Amino acid sequence: MELDFSPIFESWRFLANGLLVTVQLAILCCIASLALGILGGIGRVYGGRVLKGTITFYVDTMRSIPVLVVIVWIYFALPLVSGYNLPPFWSAFLAITIHVAAYVIEITRAGIESIRPGQVRAAQALGMSHRQILREVVLPQALIRVLPSIGSIVSVTIKDTAIASVIAVPEYMKQSETLAAQSFHPIEVFTFAMFVYFCILFPTTRLIDRLYRRLAHLGQS
Amino acid sequence: MSSQVGQQIRGAGKKPILSYHNVMKRFGNFTALNGVSLDIYSGEVVCFIGPSGSGKSTMLRGTNALDPFDEGQVFLDGSPLPTSENEARHLRRRMGMVFQNFELFPHRTALENVMIGPVTVLGTSKDQAAKAALKLLDKVGLADKTQNYPANLSGGQQQRVAIARALAMEPELLLFDEPTSALDPETIGEVLNVMKTLADEGRTMIVVTHEMNFAKRVADWVVVFERGQVVEQGPPEQIFDDPHTERTRNFLSHLGWHG
Amino acid sequence: MKLEWSVVWQYRWLLAEGVLVTIGLTIVTMAIAVPGGIILALMRLSKNRFLSGFSLCFVELFRNIPLILVVYWAFYVMPIFVGIELSAFATGITALALNVSAYNAETFRAGINSIRQGQVQAGLALGMSRFQVLREIVLPQAFRRIMPILASTWVSLFKDTSLVSVIAVGDLAHNALMVRSQTFRVLEMLTAMALIYWALGYPQAKLADWIRKKFEVKE
Ligand SMILES: Nc1ncnc2c1ncn2[C@@H]1O[C@H](COP(=O)(O)OP(=O)(O)OP(=O)(O)O)[C@@H](O)[C@H]1O
Ligand SMILES: [Mg+2]
Repeated sequence: MELDFSPIFESWRFLANGLLVTVQLAILCCIASLALGILGGIGRVYGGRVLKGTITFYVDTMRSIPVLVVIVWIYFALPLVSGYNLPPFWSAFLAITIHVAAYVIEITRAGIESIRPGQVRAAQALGMSHRQILREVVLPQALIRVLPSIGSIVSVTIKDTAIASVIAVPEYMKQSETLAAQSFHPIEVFTFAMFVYFCILFPTTRLIDRLYRRLAHLGQS
Repeated sequence: MSSQVGQQIRGAGKKPILSYHNVMKRFGNFTALNGVSLDIYSGEVVCFIGPSGSGKSTMLRGTNALDPFDEGQVFLDGSPLPTSENEARHLRRRMGMVFQNFELFPHRTALENVMIGPVTVLGTSKDQAAKAALKLLDKVGLADKTQNYPANLSGGQQQRVAIARALAMEPELLLFDEPTSALDPETIGEVLNVMKTLADEGRTMIVVTHEMNFAKRVADWVVVFERGQVVEQGPPEQIFDDPHTERTRNFLSHLGWHG
Repeated sequence: MKLEWSVVWQYRWLLAEGVLVTIGLTIVTMAIAVPGGIILALMRLSKNRFLSGFSLCFVELFRNIPLILVVYWAFYVMPIFVGIELSAFATGITALALNVSAYNAETFRAGINSIRQGQVQAGLALGMSRFQVLREIVLPQAFRRIMPILASTWVSLFKDTSLVSVIAVGDLAHNALMVRSQTFRVLEMLTAMALIYWALGYPQAKLADWIRKKFEVKE
């Protein structure tokens, strides 16, 4: 069997554009879902009954619906309800964010609940307000403790961006599909795509692991 | 040397059950045991004492081949310690071991912990093993805790279960590695009492311990380790009341021992 | 806008068939990926350099590639490399099993490693063989740590089966998307699809939570 990687080199610009979209989408989704998820996690722990119940329901709903389904629904069905067309990129952004945020909520909750009550009492004894205790004592420790889980969230988010190819977001997966079909070299194109994704994902997860090892002691009380 | 004098009296007319000849053990570049020679006779309680890191645990782990020695020879009842894993298993059946952290199996009740050895290793029937285990738990004073899981036992109780577990294999020799070091002061006594009972029954025991009072009261022979070597060995009266070497004196005074 | 929900009822059998395929994909994949994960974990923990190296590469590779790409790869590339044409269903299973085996391998390895070395020594000191120690002491204790993770892997897998729809395996997502494009009842079909996944997935997610609570390790 003859392998011919030349289509990849000839179309490198086409693929590079895809890679850029992948990176942009992943970064935006990570930031948004972390922000949304941490807020949601705080609400999940400290909120009133209604808020807690609503957030729990939202989390469990997202845990039970595939991200592909959310992406497709937001892109094709949401405009029919809202009357407003979102372009593919922003549809994917919205879908992946609300999906991943649910996991961030769970992680944040677990992190907050893992902080010993003694820590809060110690902060209360110093006369801190609720808000100060949360900001100065509980959240910093909780977030450091859950860093490894955040790492896998980042990895999941990057992988989820590849699913955006089903609504033709021109990210790396979609570009690879297109190139594979046009060049009649699916073997080389898809194998190379594996290589590319591995080169993004592996160092990212390693980096977060290493960061955690540096910081772990700050979260151990 | 005085220790040899002691040994002549001690060993008169008997063959040692365990005999170490110039035993060595290395971890990488670090020499944990550096030429240890030692005899242990049947029915004796031998205490290993010495500073932390001096190689006492390494001696025990080598003795039942959990972590075999690198050099030197050890004879058990006159035959050399086996080297293959398969033979080592036979060897371990003949020695019971009690660990500092108990190492009870948390997914088994006290009774099941005592039964697991005979059932899995010796193929004893469960009924028979349970009967024997009940007797042993009674013997260590835990007849009322047989159905407890380790998590629901105090440290002292856990360690007594661990002793019963070791006894269940009917070993010829018992190895204790600092059995009371992880215990609260108030529960140390109950474990030492059980060990004293076993000693009075005439069992052969090697006990690594920092409990000098126990060593003095119960041991027939005391061996002082330092940096992988035996500094001094002798009957407890010698070691504790009239140590022959400076290093033993140093070690004991370091512990605040004044005879 | 006029909604015609009757279209969902009209295609109920096709959707039901999709549901069965989705459930079948989940079960068959797990049935392969649990033993697969155990084998990979044991390879990884073995002293043999080649075996542990192979396992490490396999696990890191498949954990660091989007599943949808593995699906495409299994569909386009594998038949040529391996030389056999598999059905779409079998191809989907292959891709899912490669992915989930890698995750399970990590689950089993972490579970086994979480057991203190002293526990192994205590078993050996009683005269047990290494295999007996693994069976009687290590695995039963590791089980409590492994079960909750396997349960959440199951929930993820159930959802991830939707990705094999891109190679026309007749699962729920594929069938629903097909009806959508034939009937143009976009909102109805997509909402129905989401609701069916939700109805099936929600109890599974709750079950996974229950398992996690039940097996929570207290030290
Ligand atoms: N598996 C190992 N790898 C490397 N070094 C080891 C290992 N086991 C023991 N050592 C080293 O060998 C030396 C002797 O250890 P050992 O556990 O026998 O000491 P010990 O006399 O039992 O001390 P302690 O009273 O603290 O238990 C120590 O310096 C220890 O660091
Ligand atoms: Mg020791």
